[in-house]
Amino acid sequence: MDFVQVQNLCKNYPDAALGEFKALDNISFVARAGEVFGLLGPNGAGKTTALRILATILQPSSGSVRIYNFDVTEQADFVRHSIGFVSNNTAIYDRMSAWEFVEYFGRLYALPADRLYPRMEKIFRTLQMEEFRDCPGVKMSTGMKQKVSIARALIHDPPVLIFDEASLGLDVMVARALQSIVMDLRDQGKCIIYSTHIMREVERLCDHVAIIYKGKLLDTGTLEELADRHEQNDFEELFFQLLTKGDKGHFDAKPPVDLGMRIRTASTASQGRAL
Amino acid sequence: MNWSHVKLIFHREVRDQLRDRRTMFTICILPLLLYPLMGMVMLQVAQFHREQHVSIGIFGYENWPSDSPLILDSSDPSQIRWETLTVDDSIGATLEQFQSVQAQTNSEVKNKSTESYIVNGKAAEKLLRQVHCDAVIWVPPGYHNSISINPLVILSNQRWERSQLAIRLLAEKLEGWHLSWIRTQLAWTELGTALVDPLAIRQLDVSPPEVKRALVWTKILPFVMLIWALTGAFYPAIDLCAGEKERGTLETLLCSPARRKEIVWGKLLTIMCFSMGTALLNLASMHTTTSIVMTQFSQLGATDMVASLGPLPLHSMGWLILLVIPISAMFSALALAVASLARSTKEGQYYLMPLLLVGMPLVMLPMIPGVTLSHGTSVVPVTGAVLMSRALIDGEYGLALLHLPTVIAVTLYCCFLSKRWAIRQFESESVMFRDSERSSVAQWIRNVWRQREDTPTSNESILCGLLIIVGLFFGRLSLSGMPLSWTSVVQSTLVIQVGIILAPALIMATMLTRCVRKALRLHRPRPLEMMAAASLAVCLHPTFMAFAAEVGKEYKLGEQTNSMLMQFDSIISSTTIWQVLLMLALIPAICEELVFRGFLFAGLQRNGGQLRAILVTAAFFGLSHGVLQQTITASVMGLMIGWIAYRSGGVACTIAFHATHNSISMLLAWYSNRGLNSPHYLSWAIEHSDGHLAYTSTWCALSVGIAITLIAWFATRGSVLSNPRSSIGMNDLHQQRVTFTA
Repeated sequence: MDFVQVQNLCKNYPDAALGEFKALDNISFVARAGEVFGLLGPNGAGKTTALRILATILQPSSGSVRIYNFDVTEQADFVRHSIGFVSNNTAIYDRMSAWEFVEYFGRLYALPADRLYPRMEKIFRTLQMEEFRDCPGVKMSTGMKQKVSIARALIHDPPVLIFDEASLGLDVMVARALQSIVMDLRDQGKCIIYSTHIMREVERLCDHVAIIYKGKLLDTGTLEELADRHEQNDFEELFFQLLTKGDKGHFDAKPPVDLGMRIRTASTASQGRAL
Repeated sequence: MNWSHVKLIFHREVRDQLRDRRTMFTICILPLLLYPLMGMVMLQVAQFHREQHVSIGIFGYENWPSDSPLILDSSDPSQIRWETLTVDDSIGATLEQFQSVQAQTNSEVKNKSTESYIVNGKAAEKLLRQVHCDAVIWVPPGYHNSISINPLVILSNQRWERSQLAIRLLAEKLEGWHLSWIRTQLAWTELGTALVDPLAIRQLDVSPPEVKRALVWTKILPFVMLIWALTGAFYPAIDLCAGEKERGTLETLLCSPARRKEIVWGKLLTIMCFSMGTALLNLASMHTTTSIVMTQFSQLGATDMVASLGPLPLHSMGWLILLVIPISAMFSALALAVASLARSTKEGQYYLMPLLLVGMPLVMLPMIPGVTLSHGTSVVPVTGAVLMSRALIDGEYGLALLHLPTVIAVTLYCCFLSKRWAIRQFESESVMFRDSERSSVAQWIRNVWRQREDTPTSNESILCGLLIIVGLFFGRLSLSGMPLSWTSVVQSTLVIQVGIILAPALIMATMLTRCVRKALRLHRPRPLEMMAAASLAVCLHPTFMAFAAEVGKEYKLGEQTNSMLMQFDSIISSTTIWQVLLMLALIPAICEELVFRGFLFAGLQRNGGQLRAILVTAAFFGLSHGVLQQTITASVMGLMIGWIAYRSGGVACTIAFHATHNSISMLLAWYSNRGLNSPHYLSWAIEHSDGHLAYTSTWCALSVGIAITLIAWFATRGSVLSNPRSSIGMNDLHQQRVTFTA
């Protein structure tokens, strides 16, 4: 089932120098349940803009985006209930404890107390957050903050999870734990949009990838498909080649490939506890 | 709207702010500590001031009249310590020098029969230091025999505060001595001492002391409360908007189920809560402190003015608390909207000053002596509310009740506008996700040039309007010194109309747009519409005159303005009517319409902003008339002309309307000043009344009917739809958003 459908998405920003800056230019892709969809691109490629549109924070200039079959523009309220958004800045409130933070968002999602607190207990246990549940945000390490952010995104059990460069600034241990959590979520049948520019993460996690550069979609498909298409097995090298071609204007946006041909590339499903 | 979201956000934000030590210090701790500390310092200063003694040296005290000693015994309770000094050779020479210097100068200060001289200079300073006194009196030889002839020399250094105090105390001492001496002299004569106090006065004040105390506080407390309400609003607003942006938590909240409007409401209520809390805590702390301090002051024997500042009556506190609710709401919404523009806490703090500067005049206005609650002041935001609370504290319930609906309506409307602005800021992507993009002025100019369109943008229009208002301010200041003559009237009219009003718009239309004709909304005139517009001006003139008269009653012109207007009338009456009509009716109509209903209107009406264009151009048009009364009447007339500009699609009709309106005003003034009567065939419409030409009641009634008909004709005429309109693209949509958020 297609949980995320992005069709001809464009986003323009006003720009002092250019008058108008195309942050996203005709982007299309589809992500399905039970897969990690990697959104790849260098800094400033348009990944965050695309994910913010998916999260209903920004409005698209044109094109259509449907999450869990709800339109992000017309049915934003339903979309917000269907997504969990984890941004790269591990944003949590300094003067709130981890428990209060997750509880606050749980109540915003209108979860009844008899469902909210058991779920919070479960998430805190699974993410190993019990030790710092009463610790205020200002005293947390980056890894702790990222775990709290993930807990907040999972509290309402959304079918779609969006990770925007979530591993940025995390040490190896925490980054590995994050990957493990993502794989667990995928195994539960959730659709995960995972934005990153770290190739090793892509190889470990992503079932499908879309590479965007300067707002344009360069290519999309499984890693094997991309490797066959560009005759390059080293994914980092492949990525570099695509960007170089993108600079020379050799690429046009391609239609999304048939996601039925899903091939898991790197990882095995984690045996971690389900959330 | 989901109020449970609002409640959740409100609770969270309040809890968050209460955990913030900086906020708590500013809002709770500071008010509780500030006033007691200030009171303690004031008491100590007063005590110090009271106990501070000054020393005054006297040379030649043996020459003072022995029957009326100046220096009493040691039981003299005054703050003066007397030092009787002897004149040695060096001091004597200095004193002689001063006597000769003062005789040559006019710097003498006559003090009744005793002439005292205050001489400044290095020599005096040296002498004062030499004898360690704050002031020195030299009683010349033979003074006791001829006190009204021989001058008493007093030396002081007015750069020293102690010396200033010494002179003040000495003046009081000499005044008392002088009256006592007169009484003694008169007692020896048959005239009696009654001559000294010929008029016996007993002053009775019937106002209760607590009301008098309230009067003083009503001037001070609303000001203090409003400043604290603003301060209390701004710091939480910065933290809740700019702080959240900086920490990245706003993004998380924006993708939660809470809608933007609900987020704004939650934050607004929090800010309002803290704004009110700050103001009320300050009020309570100030009240308690002043109650104690003023009691102490009165025990110390303070002056009447200080003694009148007793504790504020409790019922007055109630009215002040009621005042703080709407004012806090308005300031909170404004602070929220302004703070949402900032990208960081630091940037948010930079925005505090402009908001404070804008709010300050409204808060200061009620403190001006003579400003009371009236029809005019009740429509001014903040000022009206303050004056209303003052009237309630004074017990003028009738007056307060009369203006209550206006004050409530104005305050609620301002709150509504502020809240709507705040919501728009939160809905605007360009505000919420402004990146710190680096751009140079050259890039910006290139961009503006490249993106020129047929009509100006709304930002360009507003900039033009602001430039004109600032230009008019300085232009009028520089022209105010010109002598009043017809030549100066012509010069100032041309400078203001062409140089200050028209030139900026023409330059901007040439440089910033591709089509000057469209930028100034010049289109082919339609004779029928122009005739209708001119006729409407004729028909609305009686109504406008009546409105102007009412405004004149409410906001009376100053004497200086009145005399200038009378001079102006006499000048125009000494000129031919054709010159007057050309210079004061036609040229202003053309220039002002090309600018206000042309360039400004063209930019502001883009993207369906016709209502905005009418309102803003009317405000600019009103502000361009320097006198307050004219600003009000011109703004109201500007609304009418703006509507005609919208309906007709260009400036031809508005020029016809404006020129006709000005012409009629000038004709009436010209004929009235010359003492001429109106033509016989107009006697049914215009009559001579009290030396002026005025409209007859028949024409007044008839004109209203015709005016309504003409307005209906304009309203139902479809010409507006046939006018070319600028294309609307994505850039326009963005531009409009930016304008609303600017």
